[in-house]
Amino acid sequence: MMRVASLFLHPSLLALGLPMNRGQPMVIAFHNELQLQESLTLEQIRAELRGLGAALILVARGAVFVFQPDDEVDIQGSNIGIRAAAVDELRVACGFAPGAPAHELSLVVLSGGGSVVARHSLLATDSRLALKGLAEALSIAGTQAIGPHPATISRREVVLASLVGAFALLTADGCRPHAPPPSGPAAPPVPINRARKITLNVNGQAHELEVEPRVSLLDALRERLGLTGSKKGCDHGQCGACTVLVAGKRVNACLTLAIMVGEAPVTTIEGLAKGERLHAMQAAFVEEDALQCGYCTPGQIMSALGLIMENRAHTDAEVREHMSGNICRCGAYPNIVSAIQKARLETVPS
Amino acid sequence: MTFGNVGRPVSRVDGPLKVTGKAQYAAEIPVANVAHAVLVTSAVGRGHLRSIDTRRAEQVPGVLHVITSGNVPPLPGAKKKTDPNDRILQVLQEDEIHYPDQPIAIVVASTLESAQEAAFLVSATYAADELHADLMPIGQDRYKPKKAGPSGDADTKRGDVEAAVNGAAVRIDQTYSTPVQNHNPMEPHALTVVWQGEDHVTLYDTSQGIFAVRKKVSALFGIPAANVRVISRFVGGGFGCKGSPWSHVGLAAIAARVAQRPVKLALTRQQMFSLVGHRPKTIQHLVLAADRKGKLLAVQHESVSETSRFDEFVEPAAVVTRMLYSCPNVRTTHRLVKLDIPTPTFMRAPGESTGTFALESAMDELAVELKLDPLQLRLENYAERDEGEDKPWSSKSLRECYEQGAARFGWSRRNATPRAMRDGCWLVGYGMATATYPARQSGSSAVAKFRRDGSLLVQAGSQDIGTGTYTIMAQIAADALGVPLETVTFELGDTIMPETPVSGGSQTASSTGSAVRLAALALREKLIATALADPQSALHGLKADAVLLSGGQLTAQGQPGKQDSLSALVARSGGSEISAQISSVEKLERAQYSLHSFGAQFVEVRVDEDTAEVRVARAVGAFAAGKILNPKTARSQFYGGMVWGIGFALEEHSVRDARSGRVVTRDLADYHVPVHADVPELVVLMVDEHDPHVNEIGAKGIGEIGITGISAAIANAVYNATGKRVRDLPITLDKLI
Amino acid sequence: MRNFDYQKPAQESEAIRSGQTTGARFIAGGTLLVDLLRLDVEQPELLVDLSALPWRQIEVAADGVRIGALVSNSDLAEHPAILAGFPALSQALLSGASPQLRNMATVGGNLLQRTRCAYFRDVAVSACNKRKAGSGCAALAGYSRMHAVLGVSDQCIALHPSDMCVALLAMDAVVHTRGPDGERSIFLADFHTLPGAHPEIESALKHGELVTHVSLPKTSFSARSAYVKARDRASYAFALASSAAAIDLDGQIIRQARVALGGVGTKPWRCMEVEQALVGRPATREVFQAAAALAMSDARTTEHNGFKVQLARRVIVRALERVGGVL
Ligand SMILES: Cc1cc2nc3c(=O)[nH]c(=O)nc-3n(C[C@H](O)[C@H](O)[C@H](O)COP(=O)(O)OP(=O)(O)OC[C@H]3O[C@@H](n4cnc5c(N)ncnc54)[C@H](O)[C@@H]3O)c2cc1C
Ligand code: SF4
Ligand code: FES
Ligand code: FES
Repeated sequence: MMRVASLFLHPSLLALGLPMNRGQPMVIAFHNELQLQESLTLEQIRAELRGLGAALILVARGAVFVFQPDDEVDIQGSNIGIRAAAVDELRVACGFAPGAPAHELSLVVLSGGGSVVARHSLLATDSRLALKGLAEALSIAGTQAIGPHPATISRREVVLASLVGAFALLTADGCRPHAPPPSGPAAPPVPINRARKITLNVNGQAHELEVEPRVSLLDALRERLGLTGSKKGCDHGQCGACTVLVAGKRVNACLTLAIMVGEAPVTTIEGLAKGERLHAMQAAFVEEDALQCGYCTPGQIMSALGLIMENRAHTDAEVREHMSGNICRCGAYPNIVSAIQKARLETVPS
Repeated sequence: MTFGNVGRPVSRVDGPLKVTGKAQYAAEIPVANVAHAVLVTSAVGRGHLRSIDTRRAEQVPGVLHVITSGNVPPLPGAKKKTDPNDRILQVLQEDEIHYPDQPIAIVVASTLESAQEAAFLVSATYAADELHADLMPIGQDRYKPKKAGPSGDADTKRGDVEAAVNGAAVRIDQTYSTPVQNHNPMEPHALTVVWQGEDHVTLYDTSQGIFAVRKKVSALFGIPAANVRVISRFVGGGFGCKGSPWSHVGLAAIAARVAQRPVKLALTRQQMFSLVGHRPKTIQHLVLAADRKGKLLAVQHESVSETSRFDEFVEPAAVVTRMLYSCPNVRTTHRLVKLDIPTPTFMRAPGESTGTFALESAMDELAVELKLDPLQLRLENYAERDEGEDKPWSSKSLRECYEQGAARFGWSRRNATPRAMRDGCWLVGYGMATATYPARQSGSSAVAKFRRDGSLLVQAGSQDIGTGTYTIMAQIAADALGVPLETVTFELGDTIMPETPVSGGSQTASSTGSAVRLAALALREKLIATALADPQSALHGLKADAVLLSGGQLTAQGQPGKQDSLSALVARSGGSEISAQISSVEKLERAQYSLHSFGAQFVEVRVDEDTAEVRVARAVGAFAAGKILNPKTARSQFYGGMVWGIGFALEEHSVRDARSGRVVTRDLADYHVPVHADVPELVVLMVDEHDPHVNEIGAKGIGEIGITGISAAIANAVYNATGKRVRDLPITLDKLI
Repeated sequence: MRNFDYQKPAQESEAIRSGQTTGARFIAGGTLLVDLLRLDVEQPELLVDLSALPWRQIEVAADGVRIGALVSNSDLAEHPAILAGFPALSQALLSGASPQLRNMATVGGNLLQRTRCAYFRDVAVSACNKRKAGSGCAALAGYSRMHAVLGVSDQCIALHPSDMCVALLAMDAVVHTRGPDGERSIFLADFHTLPGAHPEIESALKHGELVTHVSLPKTSFSARSAYVKARDRASYAFALASSAAAIDLDGQIIRQARVALGGVGTKPWRCMEVEQALVGRPATREVFQAAAALAMSDARTTEHNGFKVQLARRVIVRALERVGGVL
């Protein structure tokens, strides 16, 4: 395990006067072309930085800047000029050779105490690849940080230290020019009790999951698949915010055990729009202002689709009765009914 | 200068994100390896914690920490209020139990399921004391608060009420009560906390007041406010209970600190009944005295409401009586009773909703007594100025609301005799009442940035709780700057943006809208000045008033050839944007006026003759609230208020067990809010009103007025249908059968 | 929610075997069980998922209808044979819960649904005999507006909340079961048990015994039946009082009648006294009222639920009016 007393105090870092938080873990990344750009990869990096509580210090050609996970990408303000010699000094302090080869992404993860707990470098010929590499490296760092026995680990210090092992492997790979990036979903960093492997078919995509039998479909979607469009309003079947279609029928995902869904196709709000093109029901909700806070909205829309497929409620009064399993506390009811009546014409029951 | 975006029924700009499930709420922010926290709450309502055993909980696989008063880090700021609307929190700093379901532990685990399981395994023993959790009509110690909330003095008096009552031909002397209610926004309170170093923290919270959260967290942990960032881009409903931070916010921040890991905490629906405030029960005694023609001679309105033993909240129910009608002799009082309950808080139209129920029911009783049309009675006592404040109205169009509402509803078809109108087994009743809500404004700020790519970015901390803030601010900014709406982005929900007030009291449009408008105007001035000073600009050297700005283009007046585009201007300036920031102060002239929105509610109810089930069959609400910035989103606000009125009148009631104080109706199956089938066709009439005094944008605020008056209108309609007067809400069938 | 094991047997026999294990619970639609698991009211060791069993048929024969235990509440309510032959059952189902829940909920699960008593559902309340035998009953002197007034005991006043069962009771339904000791057929009237001194026992079903199907005999009265439910809001609410009524008319004269009540009993409640008072009399509002007045004479009310006595009589009248051609 590599422990530099405190890299925070290293003169080359101090000299830059970076706006750093006391005791904040950080990721220092060196890459000449890397630029942060809004993309799914950046979203991933943000999530990883949040997970580590870390700031990203990006050392590019002639400039350094500090990126906190919720910063806008075009913040120029914190861009600080840096001399080539200082970059080299910093590289050395982080354990890299001075004078990086072109396209090399090198990064270290520092704990809040300033110890180097992980170190990694790989070749990335452009900014996009460098971003991807960064995201993947951070993802491994984060997962490893949680460790196999979370109950026994309480301090980030210790946690991050264990990264070194993981990164040593990575580094070995990464040094090879075209090493494939570590891929596939990382094993869930959670203790699993009596867990089963299941496959959930959500919006036409099969997801392999390992879940305890007690995990609800709703929590599987929200907490494991990142599909947070289905909402949790009560967790007891009393509000309808979690409504999804299973095998074409509307159900409350909060009272459905994921393990009981089997192969049945699940459709969630995320599965309706075709790219940027909204489904007719979604478009009608926007047009009719059938939403306010929006929290009940995915459930209302999924329920409305269920209703139309059931092909039984036609008058406004019938629609109201058969939508009564979806509470809207904002009281958007009149507009929801209008939206459903409007979209009905364009939504053919199948 | 106005380009017609304001006042247009623009579709909600955040609509597409919300209908696709892409809008991320507080518990949905992607945070790798976030830990999950669950609160453990007290079984008893008063006493103290004797022991707490966390051993079984700690053995649950995946559990990281169980934090109790025994191992929680001390928080010196826990007992302090950061401002009068702040609440005292219970963040494990003591073993005293002040109310049922007070937090006694927080479990942190790597999965939600583990945390939930472990929470059930924490066991505690208590020394329980006898408690009192119900406000009674008599026999409890009442005290006079210093103020009736933000709305003024606890007591007011004009004229001589006693003398006038004694001499009056007709008198109404009745007591009304409104129950404990819970806000129950569809999104339960939730937050994700990420510590970024020892003294920096980011909270992804669901909040109506991110700056209040920042202040509180800063005070709790003794760190500078600048080190606390609160982000709340989407809020799944608030209605007042997300207006100030509650205990769980501090607890989640503690948990994340102890676990040295980001933590996510979402309250359960059941916890929402105890941990985030409620509308307090009120008991209101009304005395009305009038002459035979219906002229009010005296009104007395005494309101008693409940508060917690350790903190204070006043439901300002009698405040509305000070200004609603013309009357020479008026006395209003507010008293509080301390109970073993959590602290109540603002809930949609605090004071006006509860107060109009009592006052407008009493007015109906007076109309019955006088055999006068209730609408006529109101017109008879129309207040031409605010007699309580002794000020003129900035504007008032209540007469128009009465007229248009009555006409649309068909009020003239009403039969005043109870039980006279029928439809099969339904008894039909008509009722009406007046609606009102003050037009508040607080200081706010905003920044407007014109960017090189031709877009306008406007930012203000603020919040959009479903009211349409994202949309109307973009409309306001587009018109003020003279650029197309499509090129405007409005961002909010982040404390790194300019500071704004809480999204409550129907003041966001007024406060932050004014700031946005002023910021855009300041930017406009700056852009023009930049062009005039720029030798490379075709407009160089012209006078500012000789330049027009429209569609993102600057043109010399009368010389269409002389043009400069805003984006070229920014490009030449060398930066990526030109910006202007503004802090708007209240319009000075506001102080000279009394500022209120008004409205009239008309309701038809049907009461089943046998089962006594009450259903609202239709309702018309006519409202005058100054400029309507966006009739589409505004209509939704009014609808929402009226739907709340249905729940208020007929359904909502949080019942506490008399012995334990625990809320018995602790979920959405037992605490009824209106469902689709309860809500008939509603008609909202937006009455034109021009108010030059109220604020920069002429808008009075629309979020709360819809819930005022309507519960009385429903109760009055129930009387008209059945001949039974229910003075104790909600009007459930057992009170009629 | 505690953790548990999970099995999904493909055969009845396997299900019965698994169901014998201590701590085992069957799960069908899950709308009751998952709810109670999440509240920590139930803590099974093993869930036996019935959903693979072949019980989703509704079979119509000359002598009646046979309904598989896994038929969903929606499918049952919409079935032509039920709509035509047993309208009260369809109406009862459609008046319950929400469309989503009805899609999930099964006939077997609905038969075995447990009370909504708020004290039973709040595990921080220690006194609940149903949850923990001998611990007392918090509802007796608590807030009991939703509680039962018929069939109550000093140990428990929990309401049986089902709508479906009320209609089934009025239609002489029979519950068919299979367990380690073989098959049984139990009249619905005998299926649910009164709380007495043992509120934790709720039905005649033994541990590990399965409900396989329910049969509805063809009768002279079932087709002329209706269900009326009074509640606090227009939909998505449990009954304050409800009634299923069925009559067989000979011209204007009532030949046979069935009247059952929901929302008032610790189990679905049949009102024989009302039925007897109807037989041989003309179907008029006055007759209905006089007969309904006989109901509820054994009601034991609390401070909060006294209104149910009147309300129950009135829903009986309303249901009879629907079927008697008065309305
Ligand atoms: C918010 C809400 C509102 C509701 N409103 C109403 C209402 O208004 N009216 C109404 O009547 N009901 C209402 N319900 C209750 C609903 O009808 C029941 O939850 C449902 O019928 C249970 O069926 P299930 O298949 O989901 O049962 P499960 O949850 O799967 O099982 C329930 C019980 O039955 C047992 N079980 C299930 N099938 C069998 C079998 N074949 N053999 C042996 N044991 C079996 C299980 O072990 C379990 O104990 C409501 C429920 C909710 C959540
Ligand atoms: S009524 Fe029955 S279920 Fe409710 S608390 Fe009493 S014993 Fe428990
Ligand atoms: S979250 Fe599933 S119904 Fe409320
Ligand atoms: S839009 Fe807010 S709950 Fe429906």
